[in-house]
Amino acid sequence: MKTRENHHRSNLLAGSPSSHSDKSPPLVGSYTFRFYSSSYFHFDFELKSVQLCCSRFFFPLYFSGRDVKGLVMGERNTIVVWSSSEDDKEDSTWSSRGKRSAHSNLKSSKRSTSSKGAKKKARVVGLKSRTDSSDFDQVTLFSEDFHEGFNGFKVPAGSARNAHKQLWVDKYKPRSLDDLAVHKKKVEEVKMWFQERLRPCKDVCLSQVLIVTGQTGIGKSSTIHMVASHFGAKVCEWTTPTPTLWQEHMHMSSSGMRYTSKLDEFENFVERMRKYGSISFIEGQSNSLVILMIDDLPVANGKPASGRLQNSLRLLVQSASIPTVIVLTDYGRADSPDGCGHWLEELQSSLESAGACKVSFNPVTTNSIKRVLSRICSQEDCHATNQQIELIAKLSGGDIRNAISSLQYFSLKLNSVCYPSSISNHTSAFEKGIPDVGNNMCVMPMGRDETLSLFHALGKFLHNKREAGAALTSDQDAFVLNEKFARLPLKMDAPEKILWQAHGQARPITEFLHENVLDFLNDEAIDDSWTVAAYLSDADTLLASRNGVLFRNHEAENLGQSVAASVASRGVLFGNSCPVSSRWHSIRRPKLWQVELSSSRNMYDLLKRRLDKREACSLSSSTVIATEYMPAQKWLNYAESTTPWTTMQAKESGEDECDAMSIDGDDRVESEDEIEDW
Amino acid sequence: MLWVDQHRPKTLDKMIVHQDVAQNLKKLVTEQDCPHLLFYGPSGSGKKTLIMALLRQMFGPGADKVKAENKTWKVDAGSRTIDIDLTTLSSTHHVELNPSDAGFQDRYIVQEIIKEMAKNRPIDTKGKKGFKVLVLNEVDKLSREAQHSLRRTMEKYSSSCRLILCCNSSSKVTEAIRSRCLNVRINSPSVEEIVKVLETIAKKEGLQLPPGFAARIAEKSNRSLRRAILSLETCRVQQYPFTPNQAISPMDWEEYIFEITSDIMKEQSPKRLFQVRGKIYELLINCIPPEIILKRLLYELLRKLDAELKHEVCHWAAYYEHRMRLGQKAIFHIEAFIAKFMSIYKTFLISTFG
Repeated sequence: MKTRENHHRSNLLAGSPSSHSDKSPPLVGSYTFRFYSSSYFHFDFELKSVQLCCSRFFFPLYFSGRDVKGLVMGERNTIVVWSSSEDDKEDSTWSSRGKRSAHSNLKSSKRSTSSKGAKKKARVVGLKSRTDSSDFDQVTLFSEDFHEGFNGFKVPAGSARNAHKQLWVDKYKPRSLDDLAVHKKKVEEVKMWFQERLRPCKDVCLSQVLIVTGQTGIGKSSTIHMVASHFGAKVCEWTTPTPTLWQEHMHMSSSGMRYTSKLDEFENFVERMRKYGSISFIEGQSNSLVILMIDDLPVANGKPASGRLQNSLRLLVQSASIPTVIVLTDYGRADSPDGCGHWLEELQSSLESAGACKVSFNPVTTNSIKRVLSRICSQEDCHATNQQIELIAKLSGGDIRNAISSLQYFSLKLNSVCYPSSISNHTSAFEKGIPDVGNNMCVMPMGRDETLSLFHALGKFLHNKREAGAALTSDQDAFVLNEKFARLPLKMDAPEKILWQAHGQARPITEFLHENVLDFLNDEAIDDSWTVAAYLSDADTLLASRNGVLFRNHEAENLGQSVAASVASRGVLFGNSCPVSSRWHSIRRPKLWQVELSSSRNMYDLLKRRLDKREACSLSSSTVIATEYMPAQKWLNYAESTTPWTTMQAKESGEDECDAMSIDGDDRVESEDEIEDW
Repeated sequence: MLWVDQHRPKTLDKMIVHQDVAQNLKKLVTEQDCPHLLFYGPSGSGKKTLIMALLRQMFGPGADKVKAENKTWKVDAGSRTIDIDLTTLSSTHHVELNPSDAGFQDRYIVQEIIKEMAKNRPIDTKGKKGFKVLVLNEVDKLSREAQHSLRRTMEKYSSSCRLILCCNSSSKVTEAIRSRCLNVRINSPSVEEIVKVLETIAKKEGLQLPPGFAARIAEKSNRSLRRAILSLETCRVQQYPFTPNQAISPMDWEEYIFEITSDIMKEQSPKRLFQVRGKIYELLINCIPPEIILKRLLYELLRKLDAELKHEVCHWAAYYEHRMRLGQKAIFHIEAFIAKFMSIYKTFLISTFG
């Protein structure tokens, strides 16, 4: 999916007239470059590779991390950052292209979807081979919509001339079911589903829609394509059209065209599908088997839009007459900030309730990624060691597309840049069996950024998994630790990295740890609980804003926050010297929040009550009221009934109940996350 | 109405304790213009009583007619406007407020109120420009910025308003403010004085005080007059006529802390620590300030403790009280203290009893 998306104009295109001249074919794929703040010293090395990329290929490049701008800009104009605005002054080709693509965009939306089935292949292959004629050198940089506008411009697939310079992601695309790195069971599941649907004698009651879910780059679409080709069926795709830019819109509206949103187009498409079935887009080939695949859904922002999308999908599910596959990609996890994960879940359950089948794909296992990578290595004659392959596989986080791209990038370095010593250092460390992937990140500038959910991270800290029984490696020059300070090595990444992955804010992390840590301590370990409590107290002191005096400076405050989070998590890890064997524990929401809430409300009531009674002829401080007046008052009022404290508690618990109800809405903790085996 | 409020002396002449201070203050306000005043001393020593009586001395009975008002102040702070809710108690001659209730926005409130008071200052009968009095409670809880802004406004508007500041500890008031005020230290009344006050109240209420009972209440009250009077009233409700050996019940939260300490002494484990945390939360919900919880906890623990441990436990209590002031959430620090105590106590138990 990424390969296609990367051709949208908003991406970063690499290329300049000078780099066009060396006739290298543009390749499709994406490379992720990551820069960590700690890896400044790698920049030289990185720059070389980036230059290398630029001079030899055009990669859509994706940069993440800090100081990237400087990196991109400092590069003697070898990289053009093509942002989403169209600059008419560039040169005539660019501007004419802008207009034409606007037209073609319109056309593509109006056009009957005749060649949709072949589109995907044609796009990719077309891009590869178009460069053969130098006239189109410029054109190749443009979006494929332009290409679609060019009717009849079709180049037969598989022109093998440029094979050695193809992107490996395309070159080593699975060709058969056996090539798939997806788990066999899942493939089997999909296959069974198709088998049932594609049989000539159709069962009416079977639902015609399959939902495939999973994170990016794990072979969802490929599986569908492979299974379809296995049955000799034809895959027709709905792909989200390229979004209209504001300039385009302005241009079109001047010529009297009406703007249709992508969602409208999708709704029209569904409507057509329902009314005319497959006839609407397949001409004259009705005898062959056809599978409709909806790959990415149009962007739907906000409740009304997503509701519309959901409705039209439901309609599709209920009325589909040909086998339809909807591919849903789980972007991020459930705790993504925009709540998009939540929406996807809602969508899935709604579709399932409408009768669709669901197959969810898991990330590809490291082993199968490794297998694929080694195969590619042997075919490409690239000398990556097993450790390096394993590392790439691990860093990819189950995303096989990313892994292959990384491997290609990595092989670039192997061939042209001298073998960086840091890698050999790292591999030796790896051989020693230190599983600390975190440190290697700055060595390997690729792979995906892993994210963790907050509860996952908390679970890591609280469970405190360490290497079993192994004695500490006694380096001869190592600082000798007192026995009581020595701990076994952690079985996880550095706590700071986990915090960073979980996007944890210091204050809530500290409070969650405080609330839950005592459950994870040994029953006898009161000394440990003091150590933990002391570190948490340190963290709280660091977090205090000092009435805004000391930390006016945002930078300083930021630092204070991260130090506090680090102290809290490391304190919890260090303090818990003999962790209990892992049991099932639920993570509670900090009670502190509720306590603060009801405390401030009680305080308000207290002050108000005292004033209302007009008893006081002077104000008194809240402390005095709470500690002296109120207890006395209670004695006077309740002397004959029960003891005052219990009545107070009873009242309190009543308040807590209504409190709990009011908070219930955003209560994630009650879901009792299971953190057993993280 | 509670006896504490009911039997509060209304004029400086009727003061039973601090008679010398009262007389001096009377001379001060009758003979000449009144300076800014800063009253400080422990809680329950009679600061507020003196201030109220002083106001009555200055303005006559008009100062007694107060109305409580919950007003929203709109403060223009540079680029934005801040709304601050604050309760004030005011008569025609004075305004009383607890600026620290406004939290971290206290500095705006001090400036704003003083400015507004200065704007509509009263003119007294002789045509002379009069002044209003602003009574600020808990000045020691004001933030440093608020104290600085207080200092500036104090100088700027000194012709139109007088400040009477009231706090427990003058060490938390900046030097600049202290030097601009007449500092009046109010001591805790002695046990004899408290007994005298209790006897006066008993006489007014027509109660028979058995000999020694007032003294016992006074002992228990920790030399806080307010506390003593409240205890007397609760004892009256619990059992009357009084008997000399009648139990004087502590405050409910004190009893609760006593329970907590016995929990701590009985078992030292993370599980127990967790239970104790729940009880501390209960206290916090009922607005018992964390400093007082920690103080009382230490007091109760020390009563049950071996002499050799007392020093160390005190050290840690002081350490975590300091931490509490530096930090934000008190529970972290109170809990760290309890954990430390448990750890110390457990080691002690193991070493003595094996």
